[in-house]
Amino acid sequence: MTIIEHEASDPASPSTVPAARAIDLVKTYGKGDAMVHALDGINVEFDSGRFTAVMGPSGSGKSTLMHCMAGLDTPTSGRTFVGEREIGRLDDAGLTQMRRDQVGFVFQSFNLVPTLNARENITLPCDLAKTKVDPEWFDYLVAQLGIGNRLSHRPSEMSGGQQQRVACARALIARPDLIFADEPTGNLDSNSSAEMLEFLRRSVTDMRQSIVMVTHDARGAAYADRVVFLADGSVVGELLSPTADSILERMKQLGG
Amino acid sequence: MRRVVLQGLLAHKLRLALTGLAIVLGVTFISGTLVLTDTLHNTFTTLFGHVYQNVDFEIRGTAAFSNNGSNGGAVRKPIPQSIAITVRRIPGVAYADGIVSGYAQFIAPDGKAISTGGAPNLGLSYDPNQQLSALDLSAGAAPTSAHDVVMDAGTAEKYHFAVGDRVQVLLAGPPQTFTISGIVKFGTADNLAGATIAAFNLPTAQRVFGEEGRFDAIDVLTTPGAEKSKVQHAIAAALPKGVQVVTGQTVANEQSNDINQAFSFLSTALLVFAFISLFVGGFTIFNTFSITVGQRTRELALLRIVGASRRQVFRSVIAEAFILGTMASLIGLGLGVAAAVGLEALLKGLGITLPSGSFVFEGRTVVVALLVGIGVTVISAISPARRAVRVPPVAALADYHAEEQESSRRRITVGSVLGLFGIALLVLGLSKPAIQAVGVGAIALFIGIGMLAPIVARPMASVIGRPLARLFGISGRLGRENSMRSPRRTAQTASALMVGLALVSTIAVFGASLSKSVTSSVDNAINANYIITSSAQGGAGEFSNSVSSVAANLPGVTSVSTVYQGAFEIRDSLPNLTAVSTTHLSRTVILRMVSGRGEAALAAGQLLIDTNTANSQHLSVGSVVPVKFAQTGKSTLRIGGIFQPNALIGSYLVGDDFFLSHFNNPLPVAVLLQTKGASSATRHAIDTGLRPYPNLKIQTRAGFEKSQQQQLDQLLGLVYALLALAVVIALIGIVNTLMLSVFERTHEIGLLRAVGMKRRQVRSMIRLESVILAVFGAIIGILVGTALGTAFASSLKQQGVTDIVIPVSRLLLFLILSALLGLGAASWPARRAAKLDVLTAIATN
Repeated sequence: MTIIEHEASDPASPSTVPAARAIDLVKTYGKGDAMVHALDGINVEFDSGRFTAVMGPSGSGKSTLMHCMAGLDTPTSGRTFVGEREIGRLDDAGLTQMRRDQVGFVFQSFNLVPTLNARENITLPCDLAKTKVDPEWFDYLVAQLGIGNRLSHRPSEMSGGQQQRVACARALIARPDLIFADEPTGNLDSNSSAEMLEFLRRSVTDMRQSIVMVTHDARGAAYADRVVFLADGSVVGELLSPTADSILERMKQLGG
Repeated sequence: MRRVVLQGLLAHKLRLALTGLAIVLGVTFISGTLVLTDTLHNTFTTLFGHVYQNVDFEIRGTAAFSNNGSNGGAVRKPIPQSIAITVRRIPGVAYADGIVSGYAQFIAPDGKAISTGGAPNLGLSYDPNQQLSALDLSAGAAPTSAHDVVMDAGTAEKYHFAVGDRVQVLLAGPPQTFTISGIVKFGTADNLAGATIAAFNLPTAQRVFGEEGRFDAIDVLTTPGAEKSKVQHAIAAALPKGVQVVTGQTVANEQSNDINQAFSFLSTALLVFAFISLFVGGFTIFNTFSITVGQRTRELALLRIVGASRRQVFRSVIAEAFILGTMASLIGLGLGVAAAVGLEALLKGLGITLPSGSFVFEGRTVVVALLVGIGVTVISAISPARRAVRVPPVAALADYHAEEQESSRRRITVGSVLGLFGIALLVLGLSKPAIQAVGVGAIALFIGIGMLAPIVARPMASVIGRPLARLFGISGRLGRENSMRSPRRTAQTASALMVGLALVSTIAVFGASLSKSVTSSVDNAINANYIITSSAQGGAGEFSNSVSSVAANLPGVTSVSTVYQGAFEIRDSLPNLTAVSTTHLSRTVILRMVSGRGEAALAAGQLLIDTNTANSQHLSVGSVVPVKFAQTGKSTLRIGGIFQPNALIGSYLVGDDFFLSHFNNPLPVAVLLQTKGASSATRHAIDTGLRPYPNLKIQTRAGFEKSQQQQLDQLLGLVYALLALAVVIALIGIVNTLMLSVFERTHEIGLLRAVGMKRRQVRSMIRLESVILAVFGAIIGILVGTALGTAFASSLKQQGVTDIVIPVSRLLLFLILSALLGLGAASWPARRAAKLDVLTAIATN
């Protein structure tokens, strides 16, 4: 029921407004001779209701791209949008509002609040925004992620995979338009990684969730609908409906 | 968000406890002071209510001075005895009889004068009308003959006196022996807050207090059913000028008001120290919150990422402070009440029995304790909360490294402005003098210095740490590095101790200067070989006026000068007037005349003033000033001469003849003896001759100086003790910071242990860091305190602080003590660091 309602209220399709986009995005660090172009004029769109992976070797600027597009970092020049909202025009209050109702985050380090138990960590975004937690949605997420028996545990009492699943539930609890995932499986073993990626895949397929995931793992990227390749701060190619092999092939071509 | 705050607090109970302790101690001090003074005040109010509950009217002299001065009660002239006869004839008056009071002190069986603490030795007339008397006989009978005395139960019990025993009593005249006819209680109390009571029948009391034919007041009872206001009018109509009739209630209110004033001084003094403790506590809270906000950067950023607004983050830190402050204040409040109960018990143990009054716990105490405790905590957390707000969301990411954007320039500007503002206020406050300005100035100065301290923290820690690094090898080197690592944290931690030591050093410099000035001022004021004062605490008592004549006839004594003191009104102020014998003046007192005449002017009944008074009052030799005396009323005095400030005499001096003619039966405050040499035979003769007066303290000039200094040292000791709490709180701050540092460096300590550092070396590393912190704070504090103390002392030059002394050895002692205290403060954190399990420590990130 919940799922159908969600779809009905959000009829976005790949052809309408992209979930996020960047226009001529430049980010430099340092000055003069020591200046480094982390992002060198990037133009990219992430489709709504799809799972996009961003790949590239270390230092290619993939994390910087994500931080700038998520409003965590300020670009040197260029514009970024989440949905129709231009991030550069938002002040701190606007950014906070955007984080509350438009985007969710999953990080490599699980980033849970150590003093709160799993349930409290999951509902934290709603508590902060002072919105009501949808109990059916909560139960659905918890069941999907298989963490129902861990809800009263503190992060220190859970395995890495469990912690990351709690972080995932937290990212989704407020039904954001877009999830930014930064190497979400970087600290997980292969079993946990697979479960995590399958969950993300399902949430795109079943619920038309938009996800942008930064990764350097080809097998992980293969869960995506589309892979965008970055090198030296520029987009150097992309793959649709990728497989692990095709991604590895492309990486080799790019000299990664 | 509320949950994040609460769970966060619960997860760090130890940090919570250590941080809260600073506030707990300060609030304990405040609430204890309030409860104790409220209780004492209530006790005395009840007491006077009891004394006057049956008195319908009191007839007494009108207040002699419009301004009551600083001594509390109004000065009144005794009234003629004959008034009682007149009043008794007035219809509606059932009973009217006089009361007199004066000095009477029992002598113990061992020959010593009996006194308790600083409480007075009261001599009273015993009113046989039990309805009127405040004294309740618990054994024996009322004093009827001229040889009878009744004694308070407290004294009787302590010195094992019983009804029928003979007891010697010191009086205004020579000591006399009486028979104890009865033992009395004061209401339910054994004595009046430690004061001894000797009561005689009325004629005897009048005789021994030198009030023949006069009463201090007349207590009146009306006949049942009489209309009181009518009676009062009738009495008033019958009274001569200068005599008034008031209700018993009025007298009770006046007396409890006087007491209230005395206690409000006590509570103000104690509250000042309580606020100092809380101020230092504020520094440690600020420091702890700064550090924890730093340590929680990741968590705060994470909250921002999942949608917390800046305002929510700010409020979360403030809420944490609020909860901490509330808990600490409530605990402090409880402890304060307990402390007050304990203090009262202590007073009782010391023989200062209080009437079984109810324990007073006013709502105001709760409000003040909570308001101040929570206020200090929350205000101290504002700046750390603002820093928390500045944490960017991106700081939650693993690879984020904070760019050190120290707002140091702004801090230096604000710190300098605050510091200069503080100095300006201090200078202004000292020159006025205005205590509030001094207080606010000191606060501003301390905060300013606290803000500027990080600039010098690194170089100073480096210098202080160098010998330690050399002495203790690698642990010394690491301890030094750690203390230099974050100059801001080092400075913040040391700031609390800085404030504590600044205050202690201020007192040290001020006290040493005062002490030196006392010595030189005694040498410059007194010529006499022997100085006789009361043995009562502080020498502030009176003694029999027969002492002078006894002393004058002793072998070896060449001249005697009796010193009296009493209040008089001059130009709307009520200063003390001192009188000395005009004959042999120069042999006992050093009077350095600046202009006019000395001895001759005194003999002629003129007034001498010191140069300070001459300058401030714009008086010169020959000026005629209007004055007023309680006994003799308005008069004028001609200024006969101006002398250099003299510690013994004070500002106003007259001859004894003049004084005796304007004061009713005064008692001497000191007798000065000049002798032929200071041989032991002379001393023996004086001691023997004055043996009947055990309430005397007979001292050589050197001994007098020494006892003056001892009194000063006692007072300073009390101040040090009160300031010690602030230093303790500062040390708790150091413990707290070190604990947080150890926690923060768990990984690093594990690493050091892994590469071969011994537990012992870890311990000394933490300890040496603490020593550097403490010495850093102490050095700045001592420097600031020395400057402050010098400023205070020099601002009192006019008041007789003529020498400025910087007690270098004492200040060095403070420095060494601080280092040792720092060492002690580190012992727990050091043990904790040494106990860390190497493997888990390394695994921690």
